[in-house]
Amino acid sequence: MILPPDVGDWAVIAPALVLALFAGVTLLFGVFSGERAPLGGLSLTGIGAALLVAGYLWLEPAAEGTRRAFGGAVLADLPALAFTVVILIGAALATLLADAHVERMGLDQPEFHPLLLLSTAGALVLVSAGDLITMLLGLEIMSLAVYVLAAWRDRSRPSEEAGMKYFLLGAFASAFAIYGIALTYGATGRFGFAAIAEVAAAPGFDQGALLLLGAVFLLVGLGFKVAFAPFHQWAPDVYTGAPTPVTAFMSVVVKAAAFGVLLRVVDAFTGALGAGANAAVLPLLLSLLIGATLIVGNFGALLQSGLKRLLAYSAVAHAGYVGLAVLAGGDAGLRAAAFYLLAYTFTGLLAFAALLALLGDDDRGDRLERLAGLGRRRPLLAVALAVALGSLAGFPPFAGFVAKVVVFQAAIAAGHVALAVLGIVTSVVAVFYYARVALSMFLVDSAVARVPARERPPLGRRAAAALALALAGVLLLGLFPGGWLAAFAA
Amino acid sequence: VIAALLLLVPLLTAALLAFAPRAAIHRPLAIAGALATFVLALAAEGASVAFDWIPALGVGFALEASGASLVLVRVAAAVMIVTVAWALARVDDRPHHVAAWLLATLAGLIGIFTARDLLLFYVWWELTLLPALVLLGGWGLARRRAAVVKYLTYAVAGSFAMLVSVLAIRPLSGAADYGFEALLAAAPSLDPLAQTWLFAGFAFAFAVKLPIFPLHAWLIDVHEQNHPSGVADVAGTLYKVGGFGLFAWAIPLLPAGAAAFAPIGLAFGAFTAILGALIAVRQLHLKRLLAYASLSHMGVVAVGLFSLQPAGMAGAMALLAAQMVTTGGLFLVSGMLHDRRGTFEVAAYGGLARSAPFFSGFALLLLFASVGVPGLANFPGEFLALLGAYAASPAAAVVAVGAVIAAGAMAVNLNARVFQGPAEGGVADAKPLEIGVLAPLLVLTLWLGVAPAAGLAAIEAQVVASGPSVVGAIGGGR
Repeated sequence: MILPPDVGDWAVIAPALVLALFAGVTLLFGVFSGERAPLGGLSLTGIGAALLVAGYLWLEPAAEGTRRAFGGAVLADLPALAFTVVILIGAALATLLADAHVERMGLDQPEFHPLLLLSTAGALVLVSAGDLITMLLGLEIMSLAVYVLAAWRDRSRPSEEAGMKYFLLGAFASAFAIYGIALTYGATGRFGFAAIAEVAAAPGFDQGALLLLGAVFLLVGLGFKVAFAPFHQWAPDVYTGAPTPVTAFMSVVVKAAAFGVLLRVVDAFTGALGAGANAAVLPLLLSLLIGATLIVGNFGALLQSGLKRLLAYSAVAHAGYVGLAVLAGGDAGLRAAAFYLLAYTFTGLLAFAALLALLGDDDRGDRLERLAGLGRRRPLLAVALAVALGSLAGFPPFAGFVAKVVVFQAAIAAGHVALAVLGIVTSVVAVFYYARVALSMFLVDSAVARVPARERPPLGRRAAAALALALAGVLLLGLFPGGWLAAFAA
Repeated sequence: VIAALLLLVPLLTAALLAFAPRAAIHRPLAIAGALATFVLALAAEGASVAFDWIPALGVGFALEASGASLVLVRVAAAVMIVTVAWALARVDDRPHHVAAWLLATLAGLIGIFTARDLLLFYVWWELTLLPALVLLGGWGLARRRAAVVKYLTYAVAGSFAMLVSVLAIRPLSGAADYGFEALLAAAPSLDPLAQTWLFAGFAFAFAVKLPIFPLHAWLIDVHEQNHPSGVADVAGTLYKVGGFGLFAWAIPLLPAGAAAFAPIGLAFGAFTAILGALIAVRQLHLKRLLAYASLSHMGVVAVGLFSLQPAGMAGAMALLAAQMVTTGGLFLVSGMLHDRRGTFEVAAYGGLARSAPFFSGFALLLLFASVGVPGLANFPGEFLALLGAYAASPAAAVVAVGAVIAAGAMAVNLNARVFQGPAEGGVADAKPLEIGVLAPLLVLTLWLGVAPAAGLAAIEAQVVASGPSVVGAIGGGR
């Protein structure tokens, strides 16, 4: 049944609408005025406005309980709002960071910021989707903008390759997802997550196998997006080839959105498959993917000699840790996943802010040898990067530690002890590659030749602000995580 | 309030020191900070602080200074005063940073010893690793990089294993939060198999940090590569908190797991004790020698703890406190020797007692205290630990006593080679600063040896407080 939309419906998707509106304004302003300097500020204003609207929706409970719009196609429930806020915080920081560096890197065409906004809008649609069609729409809106951004650098083979690879594999993943949607619809005749569960729970439902097949196809499609092994192959190449400001954006916004929807899909289908014979298949499959991701990501990162590629593999590894929260499911899983992604947003952006401060205008200069002696040459930058690495490795008192505790706690409480142990064992490996970077910064062996880095001028104001905000986030979230954890709890 | 100040004073002093602009204020500031911490520790009897930290996870910021915790905090703070003073005089490259990291170590140790919340304990446990790595990496010798990596590998492997147990113990036992009391009410009634697995995670971390064979390889390299002044080694000696972790957390919370592990712990502890002592006898590098000697002590600590007897456990903690003074003091002595001849090779020394009688007297007293001569610091703890071990397993006790005899041989041997024998040119006798550094340690050595009763009584009170479950498990096991 399709109801005519009313004002309340538009309010529910207002954050995404605000972003789309600002994307248009920013684009028109950029094209017609020819000025590029104000675009970043304009785009940040848009994200700020969206954040205000989302905050209002979150803090001001609706009279009728959960807000929903367009016949349940869009939801504003706790998972949607939690991930919306995480995504918007990530988008704001990533935009600030990109704004600080795109000009010197020659990436500041007028379409750059609008595309970031559009991708973020797609991410918001994705995490608030109440049915599979809206989910697909969000997925495509988000991805299309990022395909373009990944190939943003002119006449750069790696960047073009990144865009092409991401596009082809992304299309492949979408095909899987669409096939899964079709199978699900074949089994239940419904698209809405709630409706699917309703039909599957009804007595006489005998299409369990078909529904399971649909779920598996969807899992594979979304597994590509979150970069679960063995579907992670694109991630290191795309992360490395894409311009670094775009990589930073992808690693937080796209990742958070993909996990937001994965959490919803897994929860919905676990509920729909119920306690039948097929119920165990989905968790088992997910466990295998997570286990493979933890191993591949962490051991892959061990072999890298460039910081950017190392962070790419580490991003794969971290997908495994968030996966543990998804597997745990329920309220504890939601809280763990949202908190982990928030912590990862600050930590990852801190790492990328430090990386960007080191890179030349051509995105080069991230070899680990170049970091030698950074602790003496640029101590503050080195300490900031070390904090990011410490947080990624999960050391207290940084955000990454609390995030790890929440995730493993949720996984153990849900009975996935073996996988949690694997996660902790592989994070010992992770300490190695993070420590390698830290050691090259602070420990200059006489044996290692001192490579003079091309000294960049000191950080600009916006770059320093992005770095400082991310650093503050990592520390505050590590020392006082209570508020966010309570907010993410049902 | 005192419990919070106990942490804040060294931390703030460290932060001030790191950024203090003028060299003239470094020394008064650092020593005042260390002294203030010590005075606070003296006044901290029963001091506690508790507030919710992460209520969503059941984690509280709870500290309490009493029993063994307080004894260890006091001794560590006392040793740190002279160590900081020595560091500022002896380190040439950024001495105030060394002092700052030493004070940060002290703050971390106070956190470890006084934490009454398991997750908070873990946080301090991990945090304290950072100063140890920085002191080694920033001021170590040529091959420090390999030592840092080795240390980090062992420590992180251990602490992550512990993290599994820390995270699992609450959901499995159904405790209300991570506070010690809540866990003590719930965890000991877990079924023995679960306790054994949880205990394994803790035991791995604590065995690495004790350390006991075969997880001790990092210790030797770290000591060998540390700054020759010996100050980082003192920090490392104070940071041997594995025994405390067993004593305060793993054994009381998981008595059945401890009972299951006791035979293995006794065997490895006794073997570590004798292995360390025998290798020490033959070492020609002074710092490696001290490292192996302290490894031997840790074996005795492990034997005392895994006896699961109140006497043995209390003795282990007393020994832990005593070796902070004696082993720590000997590492400072090694730095003073290095000052004179520029090497740690035992062969380069000889006949020091003739040209430097005062200095040799100080050093020998610490050396004999370290090998457990009665009337000096290590003896009461060592004796009780071995007594407890004898009650649990005479065989393990006999092996460990063998270690004590070997340690005596080591001391006599070292005395003969360094302080007696032919002298090749004289060395300077003790300088005023050195006397100032060593004299307090000697007083402490004598105090701990002659009047151990007060400290032991406090420790035993804690054993009894968390004891019923321990003793019950042993009774049930037999």
